[in-house]
Amino acid sequence: MKLSSHYNKTIIIISISVLLAGAVIYYFAISYIARAQLDRDLTEEIDEVADYVKLNHRLPRQIDFDEDVTIFAKTDQAVLPRTFFDTIYNNPKEKKNEAGRAVSGLISLKEGNYKVTITISRENTEYLIQIIASITFVLMVCLLLILLLTNRYILKGLWRPFYDTLYAIKAFNVSDNENFDLRQNKVNEFNELNKAVSVMSTRVKNDFQNLKHFTENASHEMLTPLAVITSKLDTLIQDETIKPQLYDQISDIYAATSKLSRINQSLLLLVKIENNLIDDIEWVDLALQISEKVRLFQDLISTKGIQVTEELESKKIWVSKHLIDILLNNLFSNTIRHNVDHGQLIINLTADKLTFQNSGPDKSLNEETIFERFQKGHKSEGTGLGLAIVKNICSVYKWQIYYQYTNSLHTFQIQF
Amino acid sequence: MKLLVIEDEQGIRENIVNYFNEDGNICESCDCLSAAIDKLAVFDYDCVLLDIGLPDGEGFAVLEYLQKQIKNEAVLIISARNSLNDKLKGLNVGADDYLTKPFHLAELKARVVAIYRRRTFNSNNNLVFNEISINLPGRTVQVNQIQITLTRKEYDMLLYFIANKGKVISKNAIAEHLWGDEMDMHNNFDFIYTHIKNLRKKLLDANSNDYLKSIYGIGYKFMAE
Repeated sequence: MKLSSHYNKTIIIISISVLLAGAVIYYFAISYIARAQLDRDLTEEIDEVADYVKLNHRLPRQIDFDEDVTIFAKTDQAVLPRTFFDTIYNNPKEKKNEAGRAVSGLISLKEGNYKVTITISRENTEYLIQIIASITFVLMVCLLLILLLTNRYILKGLWRPFYDTLYAIKAFNVSDNENFDLRQNKVNEFNELNKAVSVMSTRVKNDFQNLKHFTENASHEMLTPLAVITSKLDTLIQDETIKPQLYDQISDIYAATSKLSRINQSLLLLVKIENNLIDDIEWVDLALQISEKVRLFQDLISTKGIQVTEELESKKIWVSKHLIDILLNNLFSNTIRHNVDHGQLIINLTADKLTFQNSGPDKSLNEETIFERFQKGHKSEGTGLGLAIVKNICSVYKWQIYYQYTNSLHTFQIQF
Repeated sequence: MKLLVIEDEQGIRENIVNYFNEDGNICESCDCLSAAIDKLAVFDYDCVLLDIGLPDGEGFAVLEYLQKQIKNEAVLIISARNSLNDKLKGLNVGADDYLTKPFHLAELKARVVAIYRRRTFNSNNNLVFNEISINLPGRTVQVNQIQITLTRKEYDMLLYFIANKGKVISKNAIAEHLWGDEMDMHNNFDFIYTHIKNLRKKLLDANSNDYLKSIYGIGYKFMAE
């Protein structure tokens, strides 16, 4: 439920109950006032009758009263308190019964006591109450309508900055270098919200940047010790007194060092790609690059006896040659490494996609995690960063990359 | 060849000096910018090996100093920073080559020798090692005055071995030299063996001495004698 609906619901419930309660109180108040007015009129009438009797020593005739119905009835009671009561008024002109108000009192003449009852019509006051009630009702409806319309249009405008902020938060990307652009607006609360969001996003970005710097610095710091290890090993193997058995150990250290240095370079490269630091953009003939790579990897390919099938259409792309080099290196490396002896490698380049298909283990790899960092087959000698780099390079150029396992071929497809 | 190594990491510095000194070269070293400038002000060198990240400043200052003093030292930058910008900056300010850490000593030696050769030989000069004569600009090889045909890899390998003659070179170093360090060789060096076998066979067929010696599966040595 939208905030404005919640707000409307509350407003409607509150206004209806307040207006209803008001109407009830109003009704009783008006009725009370009207009744008091009638009673005052009746008192006046009965006083007039009493005065008339005192003056003329006889009962007044019916004609002397306007539209009031006055009835005199002989009574034996000596004392009769003046009482007001609701009754039925018989309109003599219109010949119909209406609601009426009556007063009864005692009038003393020489021939005896009379009970006098004066009845007047309550029609007018009832009518008044009806009018007042209808006006109140109309007002109530108007008020509700106005409230709803106000909520609908003004509230929408009022909340616009909130939705702007929400949109900005949704579009927030921690690796973007752009700052949060939030406009100043008239509502303090929203300004505060914007301020808080800005501060938070800046902090998150700083943390992210720090993390990246940390990765970069850590990788850089590792390069010098790696260089020390390598140069020590290079010096160590010059020693002719070393026992031949030790060469195996040294060979393993070489392998581990070379792997470590490759991981390091890959991490640095990832940071560089994420920071968009590679900008040597030029036109690259992709088909030509692929053919060159096939030549470069020829030794690896022929060692494994892999059959390479190329179907390359000419395709020029506006990219960094360095990144494309790495992309192809990693794809080739990957498809050759995980290939079986005498397997096949099919490379297909068309205007809108590049496909690498290779034979390999008869099992599909996990499509979800295959492009994540340090995800690799347990027998893999690689760094586990190759495909993460491929994916990152693709996302730099807004290409889509898919992995699929069909017809016992592992397929990597890049959609330009 | 007279060399100056400017490198603050003691382990690397000592190894470089030892590796280069054994070959009849004179190799001096220092560990900071100021000492380097002091040495360069007094002595002339054939080649300077320069680390960029020095404790008292960036190594680029040495390049600027050399340029200002119109000194003719060849400079090879060795840096832990594998950044294209640094590379371009270094090469723009007058460096001859750029090598990223970690590197193999054999690779460093090969690069230094190549720079030195470029600077000192005339274009028609040959590199002669005993009965082997290599025409550098033409990329042709003669053994006992008989031309032999080598593939590109075999030729590069021969130059690499001659530059590092008398040294044991690990397979890793050879693979990185021939295929570049960006290519993951999967620690599969069988194909190096194939190339070396072919090179050795071609040299022996031309009645050359058997210089190439395999060292217990870890690498190869090009015998100096």
